[in-house]
Amino acid sequence: MSGIYVHVPFCKSKCTYCDFASYPKEIGKTESYFACLYREIKGQGLKLKDKTFDTVYIGGGTPSIVPANYIAGAIKQIKNCFNLAENSEITIELNPGTVDEDKIKIYKAAGVNRFSVGLQTGYDDQLKRLNRVHTAKDFLLCAKMLKGENVSADILIGLHGQTKEQARNTAALAIAGGVSHISVYALTPEVGTPVYTDYLNGELLSDDEVADIYDDLREFLKNQGFYRYEVSNFAKKGFESKHNLNYWRRGEYIGLGVSASSFIGGRRFTNTFSVDEYMNAVIYNKSPEISSDEITGKDAEFEYIMLALRTAEGLDVKKFNAATGADFYNDYKAALAKKSRFLDIADDRVKIRDEYLYVQNDIILEFMK
Amino acid sequence: MSVEQKKIRNFCIVAHIDHGKSTLADRLMEMTGQVSERDMEEQLLDSMDLERERGITIKLTPVRMFYKAKDGEEYVFNLIDTPGHVDFSYEVSRSLKACEGAILIVDATQGVQAQTLANAYLAIDNDLEIMPVINKMDLASANPDAAAEEIENILGIDASDAPRISAKSGLNVDEVLEQIVKKIPAPTGDPSAPLKALIFDSFYDNFKGVICFVRVVDGSIKVGTRIKTFMSGKAFTVTETGVFSPKMLPTDGLSAGEVGYIAASVKSIEDTEVGDTITDADNPADKPLPGYKKALPMVFSGVFPLDGSKYNDLKDALLKLKLNDAALSIEPDNSVALGFGFRCGFLGLLHMDVIQERIEREFNLEIITTAPSVSYKVYKTDGSMLVVENPTHLPPVTEIAYMEEPVINAQIFTPPEFVGPIMELCQYKRGVYKDLVYLDKSRVSLKYTLPLNEIIYDFFDQLKSRTKGYASLDYEIAGYEKSDLVKLDMLLNGDVCDALSIIVHKDKAYERGRQIAERLKDVIPRQMFEIPIQAAVGGKIIARETVKAYRKDVLAKCYGGDVTRKKKLLEKQKEGKKKMRSIGSVEIPSEAFIEILKTDNDK
Repeated sequence: MSGIYVHVPFCKSKCTYCDFASYPKEIGKTESYFACLYREIKGQGLKLKDKTFDTVYIGGGTPSIVPANYIAGAIKQIKNCFNLAENSEITIELNPGTVDEDKIKIYKAAGVNRFSVGLQTGYDDQLKRLNRVHTAKDFLLCAKMLKGENVSADILIGLHGQTKEQARNTAALAIAGGVSHISVYALTPEVGTPVYTDYLNGELLSDDEVADIYDDLREFLKNQGFYRYEVSNFAKKGFESKHNLNYWRRGEYIGLGVSASSFIGGRRFTNTFSVDEYMNAVIYNKSPEISSDEITGKDAEFEYIMLALRTAEGLDVKKFNAATGADFYNDYKAALAKKSRFLDIADDRVKIRDEYLYVQNDIILEFMK
Repeated sequence: MSVEQKKIRNFCIVAHIDHGKSTLADRLMEMTGQVSERDMEEQLLDSMDLERERGITIKLTPVRMFYKAKDGEEYVFNLIDTPGHVDFSYEVSRSLKACEGAILIVDATQGVQAQTLANAYLAIDNDLEIMPVINKMDLASANPDAAAEEIENILGIDASDAPRISAKSGLNVDEVLEQIVKKIPAPTGDPSAPLKALIFDSFYDNFKGVICFVRVVDGSIKVGTRIKTFMSGKAFTVTETGVFSPKMLPTDGLSAGEVGYIAASVKSIEDTEVGDTITDADNPADKPLPGYKKALPMVFSGVFPLDGSKYNDLKDALLKLKLNDAALSIEPDNSVALGFGFRCGFLGLLHMDVIQERIEREFNLEIITTAPSVSYKVYKTDGSMLVVENPTHLPPVTEIAYMEEPVINAQIFTPPEFVGPIMELCQYKRGVYKDLVYLDKSRVSLKYTLPLNEIIYDFFDQLKSRTKGYASLDYEIAGYEKSDLVKLDMLLNGDVCDALSIIVHKDKAYERGRQIAERLKDVIPRQMFEIPIQAAVGGKIIARETVKAYRKDVLAKCYGGDVTRKKKLLEKQKEGKKKMRSIGSVEIPSEAFIEILKTDNDK
């Protein structure tokens, strides 16, 4: 499995928790940005012509804010320049306040077959506080337009003053909208965001309170037929995100556009976070990369473990050994023994027990050498 | 070329802390031209950074000066500096042995203080001629008549012609120089008798081996002399002799009455113990100089490297420090919680502090220290006696008939208004009242017998805070007394953490147990499971706290671009974990071991 990620660094306004490469003021550069993006797609496609890719993920920012034909153009360019498998999963992120029937029609025609909608919360006052550009009703309208499609919703927990019931109701709203996949993210106070200021002022929920909401929501989702296949991701069977599973299985992926990261041939590299720098580089046939790391040996092994243990499927020992040349049970004997009470070890598979998945850092650290 | 004994004056300066000892020493050196004003660094004798920062003298530093007296003769002065703190009274006694006289400085604004007394008595005990000097005449509040009266009344020393000086401004310091010549006796050793030289300090030089600071009492010594010490009996050939100017300056030799240093390629510190007598191996004296008592460490603490792999570095550091510090004792120790380290014995709390700080500063080692303890005598039911310096080594309760703990005779000087709070404190610290004397209207001397183990806990801090810093404490070990002592264990998740065990009086066990449990609760981070913290005495739980399990410790998102970032975050966490120690399955930060020593005042 290999994936293609495309970044759209524009949005209508910055959400208070957002620290992604997303620039409301640069939206005027959309046309030239996409011109450069097509060029980068072509260049990378040539370099990677021997590889087959199975997923495309168009994220942001807000991909749905730009004219839909640019998105269609990007997908077309990818299909032209890469070996994209038949029936590839093609996902786009949507902000419910920025979509309409026409856009969705164009996405679908271009081959998009999975939609990830940013609901965040079903409460308008909370949406407002997060500086989201949509309401709960917008979500329902958006969901209606996507009826019958493979839809996912993102929701946030740990919002200012949020209760378990509110989180449940938000999930219920998403389910009522017909989604088959829900990502549940705890609000994280990233340095430099307004939410970080709230955090410093003690206005966010404590970790214990967030954990309460999370546990409650997990229970609720389970009863609704959504199983947790990764720390933050819940899906009905068969509706897991293939693109994201590829990250956790340490599969390869190419990232295209501003701030996009790639992992190809054991090397992790990331593009510049500046739109102008990106365009300059691409126009002059230079690499927009700003960092590059060869990941080898123990580092590669640790990445594999760190990522695999996030998932319900856990770490496949045979695949791990084959991929890294290590002997898992032997090389990590001490860590396994020390953390055995938190692990399920059976049939060449090691996973973190259900109840400890949300406190996994300490377990994972034991495997770091 | 040796100096005539009658032209030599060997002396030290004794004083209460802050009464101006180092300043006077500086002034003497300056006025005898030993150091030019340009080179004059503030307080030259206190050469260690630590000494200068704390304003205390720890190491002895002798200095030789030339003084042309009014009688027209040139005299050689050897000033041997002495530490000013009660912890170092042994070091004081060593330096006193090398002198014939002592300058006693009394602050004209404060009069006789606790250490004035202690040090003056020590000097008198060593048969030194005491030469009183009244300092700080430059201060407006100076009351030299009152100070002189106190010297006469309290110490019984004639202070009628005591120079009234300002070491700071130099006022009347010339009078001090003259009196040194007139009042302090010249050495009276026999230059032709077999060699007898007293080692009063030493340090290790990487090129020359052990450098011994010596006072030659009889005979003489020069390069090539074969020497031996009485204790080890091993012989060495002298490779260098010299004096302190104050830097080491090689000379042809040293003879009776002189103070200087010798090097003889001595590799092992045990071969030249401080306090020992050096003699000529080929023409030995029949007996050593009268005894130096060996300094007995009174306070013990575990010292462990923060990073377990630095054990050998810590060992080297301690051995090097011991070279200069006869009072430091070192024994290998092994703790379940802290791994391999050392049980170190110190003269007192300040000494302990100084050593710990020097390990960290001079050797760049991060260390963990455990709660200080004293040495207990444990009388077992089988009739045998065991000295226990480490709570971990206490035998099972069933084997103990009774225990004894060291007690001190404490003398506390205080303005009268604090007598009440001090008596309350002493009572609380299990003190036994002995005596209360009004020295004058503004000063009271209180005497108590107190268990040393109460002193090493937080007595100084308490005394300071209850008397706004006005009271001073002086103490001496008074022996051992029977006491109802128990071992207080701390259990983390059911496992005893050996490094946290302490020995306390039965009546204090509950209170200390509760305090430590509360403190541990604050310093132990939440982990994957609930951690009960229990204090136990003889298997009985007397206090309990709980560190709740954490509920959320996860990286919320981990997609394409997050992998590297998250990995770095985890690496940082891992780095932090290295400073943790595991007790069973519980990880505790190294600060925890120090944190529990803190009193409520520090909180």
